[in-house]
Amino acid sequence: MFRSDELSTLSEKSSKKNKLADSAGLASLSQMGSGRRLGPSTFAMPVTLAVVAAILGSVLPVSYSFILEYAISLSIYAVATNLLLGFGGLVSFGQGVFYGLGAYTVALNWMHHGLSFWEAMVLAPFVGAAASVLMGLIALRTRKLYFALLTLAFSQLAYVIVGVQYNFTSGANGIFGAMVPTWLVSPRNSFFFVLGVTVVSLLVMWKVTSSPFGLVLQASRDNRDRVEALGVNVFRHQLVAMAIAGFFCAIAGTLFVIYSQSTYPDLFLWTSSGIPVFMVVIGGMYKYIGPIIGAVVYEIAHHFLIGYTQDWQLVLGLVLVVIVLLRPDGLAGAFDGLMARRRGRVSPAGGES
Amino acid sequence: MGRIVIETIGGLSAAGSLFVVATGLTLVFGAMRVINLAHGSFYMYGAFLVSTFVGTTTGLRFFWAVALAAIIVALLGTAVDFTVVRFTVNRDPLTQLLATFGVFLILADLGQHFWGTGFRAVPLASALTGKVTISGATFPVFDLLIIGVAILVGVALWLMLRHSVFGWRVRAAVDDPELLQSSGVDLRRLQMGVFALGALLAGLGGAIVAPQTVVAPGIDESIIVAAFLVCVIGGLGSVLGTALGALIIAFAQTVGAVVAPTWASTFTFLAAIIVLAVRPAGLLGVPER
Repeated sequence: MFRSDELSTLSEKSSKKNKLADSAGLASLSQMGSGRRLGPSTFAMPVTLAVVAAILGSVLPVSYSFILEYAISLSIYAVATNLLLGFGGLVSFGQGVFYGLGAYTVALNWMHHGLSFWEAMVLAPFVGAAASVLMGLIALRTRKLYFALLTLAFSQLAYVIVGVQYNFTSGANGIFGAMVPTWLVSPRNSFFFVLGVTVVSLLVMWKVTSSPFGLVLQASRDNRDRVEALGVNVFRHQLVAMAIAGFFCAIAGTLFVIYSQSTYPDLFLWTSSGIPVFMVVIGGMYKYIGPIIGAVVYEIAHHFLIGYTQDWQLVLGLVLVVIVLLRPDGLAGAFDGLMARRRGRVSPAGGES
Repeated sequence: MGRIVIETIGGLSAAGSLFVVATGLTLVFGAMRVINLAHGSFYMYGAFLVSTFVGTTTGLRFFWAVALAAIIVALLGTAVDFTVVRFTVNRDPLTQLLATFGVFLILADLGQHFWGTGFRAVPLASALTGKVTISGATFPVFDLLIIGVAILVGVALWLMLRHSVFGWRVRAAVDDPELLQSSGVDLRRLQMGVFALGALLAGLGGAIVAPQTVVAPGIDESIIVAAFLVCVIGGLGSVLGTALGALIIAFAQTVGAVVAPTWASTFTFLAAIIVLAVRPAGLLGVPER
């Protein structure tokens, strides 16, 4: 799917930029990304994952590849949310707004006979980014807790507006119908389309997190005052981060339309906005791969558990409480801890760089 | 003229119930520095419990039903505090939000087990269904009752915070928990008390408005947003600010309903945005660092 020479030049560039950021003294502040060297081996995992997903998508029966398709599309949602949560230290309970906007841009465009499907698909991320900037301009004036509560309120606001403006959005009924081109309705085609969009999106976001911009973002999370003292406009960086997150959440929303061929206002509810946050937490927010694991585990668990029990929310709540209180670094962190312990037993001297 | 009086009474009544719920949230935040997403669940349980108590054939009187519901919710709050919330004190906001979000999901699920997914009616005692006419404007007695309860709660809280040892300690915990602890006060016990009080107020708020509002799953989701808006406008941790916030939110909604009915519910958010654009830490809040 990707030529390795392209990828290695990509990684060389970003490692150069890393050094630049290091010399500016910013990377030393951050926990993530700074000490990691980026070589061809960095790409072993993403390429393997993409290939495994592609094989599974063509081998699995359609009913299963369907679940996997949704899980894969959700990983964009989770990683984009983690740009703010894990990398920016901005607890947003409002990402459902952009996910919903992405889905509704495509669906409303279809309902009101506007642009073509593909034009709407291209437009949607920009709608998400614009809305995200608007929200950021207000919410980023506040800090931590107030930010979280405001984003939560925005989520509810969007939900209320979509529900009330019945004539334009068809309200609580949602929108459903043949809004997706016929060739994309075929399960295999839609699987590979979603996988392709996801791989590109995840690579772009990965690039963002390891860029100087990403390092400044992480540094502002760890020590805002010091970063500001270095002359960085933290507000502007966080605003751009919100725009990027909004952009990709909207992309995830458009993929939801491809998957479900419908939209409904519940996508905007603050409890829906909590779902990507939940995925980030189960996967682990301090690793880039964490939210991807979280999204896949969440969706697969969701699909199989609702077959057995009505109490999906109860399970979700219990898992959330246990993870947050006992294992705040999530599955990725637990896995790392396990590996470190095993390595430690084999060769105590060979510590991680 | 009559219209204005009716809308004003209605707005005050809405502000009253919002104040009762939101002040519980703000007290807990003040004394524990914990933000509780499950606060709306306590409100919902208050409303559900009243619907059960009033609905039975033995027909508990409304006041007893409300009191009993509030006390049971306070006990539930203590259980939540004991199992989850106390471990999140002094943790980062994300941990608190997520842990209490977990509690919110659990309580929402259990609520559906106990009370189903449909709407529940709460019939009112005949003494409370009457109407009052003042200068040509007719409005429900029940509105006056809610306003009365809100004033009572406000005065009781003020007296408690100013004139009781518990209240002094709560205020001390808001200002400087370490100093309070080093002067020999058991901070954990104090926080337990405050959390139970917060839950009690949420339960009371839900119980008292139950006859007037929709009682169904999902009210926990919407009330928590309204309560947050109130607290954020007033400044988290300030009881007086909460009262101001409740008035602003309720009147924004009332004005919205008159001016542009289809957009009414967006007026509250607009009000919150305007206040926060001017004062990011709320009207009476202290800026967060």
